[in-house]
Amino acid sequence: MGLDESLPRRQFMKAAVAVGGASALSACLGRAPRAGEPVPEGVSDSSELPQRQHAWNERVRGDDEGNVHLPRHQTILYLNVDADGTPRSDARETVEAALRTLDRAYERSNEGLVYSVAYSPSYFERFDDSLPDSVDLPEPRRLSGFENPEFDTQDTLLHLASDRADVVLEAEEAMFGDRSEVNGLAVADRLGDALTVDDRRTGFIGAGMPAERQTQRGEPISGIPDSLPVPEASPLFMGFEAGFAGNQATEDYVTIEAGPFAGGTTKHVANLRQRLGDWYDEQTFEERVMEMFSPSHAEQGRVEGVGANLGADSGIDAFLDSETIQQSIDEHGRVGHAQKAARANRDEDGNVRILRRHVESTDGDMASLHFPSLQRRLSTFEEVREAMNGDDLTDNPSVRQRVNNGILEYVFVQNRGNFLVPPRRYRALPTPRPA
Amino acid sequence: MNRRAVLRAGAGLVGAGIVGGCLQTESRSVRSPPLVADRPDAVYHPTHSEGMEMIGSTTAGEYKVAAMYSYPHRFWEITGPNTNKKELDGSHAMHLMTVVWDPETRVVLPNAGLTIELTTGGSLVDQTNMYAMLSQPMGLHYGNNVEADGDGTYTASVDIGSVPDDRVRRTGEFRGRFTDPATAEIEFDYSQSVRDGLSYEEYDDAGERAALEPMDMMTPSATVPPKAEVPGAVRGTDTSGDAVFVVAVQDAVPAGIEGDGQYLTVFAHTPYNRTVLPSMTLSGSLSGSGDPFALEPTLDPELGYHYGAAVSEVVDGRTLSITVDTPPQLTRHEGYETAFLDMPGAEVPL
Ligand code: HEM
Repeated sequence: MGLDESLPRRQFMKAAVAVGGASALSACLGRAPRAGEPVPEGVSDSSELPQRQHAWNERVRGDDEGNVHLPRHQTILYLNVDADGTPRSDARETVEAALRTLDRAYERSNEGLVYSVAYSPSYFERFDDSLPDSVDLPEPRRLSGFENPEFDTQDTLLHLASDRADVVLEAEEAMFGDRSEVNGLAVADRLGDALTVDDRRTGFIGAGMPAERQTQRGEPISGIPDSLPVPEASPLFMGFEAGFAGNQATEDYVTIEAGPFAGGTTKHVANLRQRLGDWYDEQTFEERVMEMFSPSHAEQGRVEGVGANLGADSGIDAFLDSETIQQSIDEHGRVGHAQKAARANRDEDGNVRILRRHVESTDGDMASLHFPSLQRRLSTFEEVREAMNGDDLTDNPSVRQRVNNGILEYVFVQNRGNFLVPPRRYRALPTPRPA
Repeated sequence: MNRRAVLRAGAGLVGAGIVGGCLQTESRSVRSPPLVADRPDAVYHPTHSEGMEMIGSTTAGEYKVAAMYSYPHRFWEITGPNTNKKELDGSHAMHLMTVVWDPETRVVLPNAGLTIELTTGGSLVDQTNMYAMLSQPMGLHYGNNVEADGDGTYTASVDIGSVPDDRVRRTGEFRGRFTDPATAEIEFDYSQSVRDGLSYEEYDDAGERAALEPMDMMTPSATVPPKAEVPGAVRGTDTSGDAVFVVAVQDAVPAGIEGDGQYLTVFAHTPYNRTVLPSMTLSGSLSGSGDPFALEPTLDPELGYHYGAAVSEVVDGRTLSITVDTPPQLTRHEGYETAFLDMPGAEVPL
């Protein structure tokens, strides 16, 4: 796949991240909006950075309402450790040195680079010891009766994110390609010396980006109908804002508290393909609000446009009791996505349990969603996903396994992977029982 | 590469055949005749019928699956008593259908939560939910309109999601069955010319209260037997919204249901073709004995799909009142979209 130089700039930048590689990078550097504008530098000593690799919220853009805006350009790399068996200490040193290079090169922020490295259950199987009980990290599994995902069992996940497309590309090229410097800093150690890229996925998020990317070379991508319905203001293909502060777990809440991996978290990453013809062409705005939020949101006219009027909370907590849900189903024959899922997403004190950091993708010219979710215990994610299946709500036959059941009719899980995001001190090829 | 991507590539390359084929799709869908003006609130004869091509069958886990295709169809999605017409938009190549059944008893399974993934040459062409559907010639099946990517060999990967227990109760040998998901792969050749060679017929008597005859699907079909052959002692029938309820009493309660009296069964079917009508919420009450009870959707190897309740005894002379709380939540093909929606209560003297 080559890069079409005639593309408008913003489209070009996205295309460049999607294609990757040295040529994409150099093309991108030439065209970047602030090419030549300096990227803020990082820290000389990585220990100045937080132990929590997932501490992104304070380092990326926020809005007046207190909502976090994830970096616009993201690359998720699925990596395998080169040698069989227990990783050797020189590989570990290489990985740590490479990561320190990134820390020095880029400010840990949306203007520079935010990133994290995570490890799968399969990775930990390389060792005789098993993970301590303080880490809940099952192998990925099928989480609904109607999905048949491929399981991502690669060793390592590197998640790169920045508001600058040239930064994610450059970091990747320096770590795995043949770029010899990052943000002007010479690269001596590369992740590529110890790890090999098995799969590469790219994402984006932000108002206007999905609308702009619903076509490629003038044609709708797969999953997008010919009516090109994605609203200009929407950060997501499905036409609404997501991730309101009040509906997200805090970083504190998802952080593992005890054991050697205290300060880390667990990460589930799913990929969901979207097929949005029926979502947009067959349904009214009110019906979309019913299925995304709740029928009550539609009744009360709570959502305007893409939902920016919701401020810092979707208000879903008012509609989670079984009586309200039953009444909605009886009156409208539908149940909302947020409504179903949120039922399992509160602890006894009402705190939100998972931190969703999903971004859109046009990988393979298909509309899809990369869905990373952070939680202290991975099984919490599984519980929330189970609630989203709504199997317990199909008493009334108008709510079917996928039809009228939130957004399940329009999304198709392709991949699932589970990972441990260790604290910074153990981010380089950790053993299951670091001392 | 998706179909539209092929068109793009095709335009610059060889293309003529691909583009020609695509135009066919569009002209064909445009040819679907307009709906009749005054559709009765009942089963009616559709404007046209279309042939189908069997593409194969296979076994996956405990399920047997067959797949076929036809021209893209318009159909109606149902939510409660409301219908939502799915128009043809010219982007689809075929109406892909599947039937799923238990190989041993040949009982057809509704509510199996189907998803289909269509690939060719290793790349994804379309992936979609398959609606449980009701069609006069094709009976109870799963289907949706899907895209294609020109002539060639396709793999239809059918994910059967299992039959939810709280949706359809299982009895007898069916207890514990159909709870595991399975994936069936069926490879087939698709070509525009074969599709366009499928029969296509328009009718003058469209809109009349009648139905097309069932077609030989080369699969078992979900039908209720003629009244004389319905299992148990048939005690009466009634209709509601053009649906037929056949009430029969079984002497023993099927294994898996509590109760040691009799078992009241309601077999619900379409008029003319006697296709099973699943996915309703029904309740009943017997005159003189008060409390209403749920008539639970149940799948039994001997009785097939029915609505049933254990009762101590069905005394002669009583009347069973059947209340339809939710009409059949099945996507409908033309001729069924106005029937079985407004369903008043039925009264069956026993
Ligand atoms: C294309 C896919 C998806 C889209 C477009 C989407 C979008 C949304 C939106 C707009 C909301 C309401 C606003 C908010 O609270 O953020 C929401 C809520 C939610 N979503 Fe999704 N979502 C998707 C997939 C998923 C998946 C796969 C999960 C997995 C469990 C999930 C879990 C949740 C939860 C738990 C909530 C409720 C938050 C709360 O507890 O209040 N979503 N989603």
